[in-house]
Amino acid sequence: MVVSMGSTATAYLTGFGRYLPGDPVDNDGIAARLGGDDAVTERIRRRILDANGIRQRHYALDEHGEPTELNEELAVKALRAAFDDRGIDASEVRMLACATTMGDVLVPGFASMVHGRLGGGPMQLLSASGVCASGLAALDAAVSKVRLGDHPLVAVVGSELASRSLRQRRFDHIRAGMDSHFLRWMLSDGAGAVVVEFQPHPSRPSLRVDWVRQVSLAHEHDVCMRAGMDGTEPVVGGTWQDVGVAQAEASGMFVLRQDVTVLDDLAEAGIRQFEELVDIGLVDVHHLDHVVCHYSTNAFRDAAFDGLRRRIPSLDTDKWYSNLETRGNTGAASIFIALEEAWSTGRFRPGETILLAVPESGRFSFAFAHLTVVAPPDQQGASK
Amino acid sequence: MTIDTTTAADDLRSADVSTLFERLGEVWVELEEYLERVPVLRRLGDGTVTIDDYRRLLFNLRQQVVDGSPWISRAASNFDIDHFELRAAAIKHAEEEHRDYLMLERDYVAIGGSLAELRAGRKNLGSEALSGYMFHYADQPNPVGLLGAMFIIEGLGAKRAAGWAGRFQEVLGLADSQVHFMQYHQEADSEHTGDLEAILTSGMIDDAAADEIVRCAQVVARLYALQLEELDR
Repeated sequence: MVVSMGSTATAYLTGFGRYLPGDPVDNDGIAARLGGDDAVTERIRRRILDANGIRQRHYALDEHGEPTELNEELAVKALRAAFDDRGIDASEVRMLACATTMGDVLVPGFASMVHGRLGGGPMQLLSASGVCASGLAALDAAVSKVRLGDHPLVAVVGSELASRSLRQRRFDHIRAGMDSHFLRWMLSDGAGAVVVEFQPHPSRPSLRVDWVRQVSLAHEHDVCMRAGMDGTEPVVGGTWQDVGVAQAEASGMFVLRQDVTVLDDLAEAGIRQFEELVDIGLVDVHHLDHVVCHYSTNAFRDAAFDGLRRRIPSLDTDKWYSNLETRGNTGAASIFIALEEAWSTGRFRPGETILLAVPESGRFSFAFAHLTVVAPPDQQGASK
Repeated sequence: MTIDTTTAADDLRSADVSTLFERLGEVWVELEEYLERVPVLRRLGDGTVTIDDYRRLLFNLRQQVVDGSPWISRAASNFDIDHFELRAAAIKHAEEEHRDYLMLERDYVAIGGSLAELRAGRKNLGSEALSGYMFHYADQPNPVGLLGAMFIIEGLGAKRAAGWAGRFQEVLGLADSQVHFMQYHQEADSEHTGDLEAILTSGMIDDAAADEIVRCAQVVARLYALQLEELDR
């Protein structure tokens, strides 16, 4: 007889951790770290901070703007926090999936460096690169391997250390329009991690991962957020790797930029992606208890709410959670930092559902994950 | 024990064969009664089994499963030329099973177990008794009675293991790659059970051999259940 059941396991989030370097920095403390204290820059910064609504954030920079830690250290500290939360040791981890926009070094991959610092035993690695949505891309890979039964326990971390590239020395003698200011006064540092397992936590609630979905619309959109290129068109011989480092720096290629004129399109496209989830039945708005959404600024949140209310009047925006205002925009780490805080502050109850939503401006990507809060096995009673 | 290799008295032998299957059927019923009292199988049945139960079961089984191919090989070496067919069957069977424990080990690792700890493990009380008995029996000249052991062990694989695998999957939400060992045995052991039936109906088994086969099946049924009862002891 041929056995062909094709059964998969279930993936649960069982441990949560975050690491935010240093003390929180309020809006008045930014200039000491990132520079840009001339009157013009000051005005632009105030305007952008008013729009994005961020009141405090963390930088891995001291009060003079000098780096205090590596990105890989932020990642490892968030991972250790997640392991402590779950009560495990790094030696139990069989796979590590890391997401970051930019690691500390060009080569090797970020996950190799994080594993080297973390320790533990032999493990599979994934370095998911990209921007904000890479956090859920890493989660998707972890969940898939757990479901296949290939790994019983996988650690996922999103980590960003953007601040060092936001300092004044990068902007000296550079044409810096709104495309760079927008990000300079928005991005900050931090890391968030989760533990993914094939069994729920033995003695407290877990988050079952129902599905993860990521969609890119790069086929119909130009580059929106970029570094390492001049303009939004990639040109043979014209990337930072071709023209020489000095020329690349002089032409401002090392400044992170965002084409702010397409951000309305991004918000619109994100709403359409959400509508599609509703349309195909992956999300039932009547049984959706929480939305943990990564958005880069409150302006996006307001645009999204308006758009959603027009289409889905029954959608209760009180269910939406974000800690953007107090933790800043930490890119690929944001969704995990938000999830950790929502989780540890007791927002979720067994039986409730959660949608994680991460729009990415890079070149129009959207990632979602649907979670269900499950009670520990000993409180579910004998089943079946 | 002797094996009648003449071709006479076919009618008498057919009668013996049906009696032998009846007697083995009774042993199987005894085995099922033993299994109903095994705690881990009771928990599996009523849906309260835990991942730790499954991990322990694999850990305990592994320590005896690694001996499976060796005792069959040893039995093969003790069949003389008059028992060539049984020797051939044992050699083939030993070869087919000698990598099975690796599948079990992969399952154990896939649910979070440590391979080093698994390999450093020792047999439980039931496994000691079962393994000791099998090797002792396999050391005898022409150990035909071991066909009774095969009847029990392969029968468990063919008739019960896949059901256990499916139930562990159902209760604990396991992927196929975490229950390979038990799933695989439905297929492999059904084949072996077919081979066994062919031998038992071949006319090679005389009355004395049949008695030995039934007795060995009884002992192995009890010891196998003991192995499942004595997890970690």
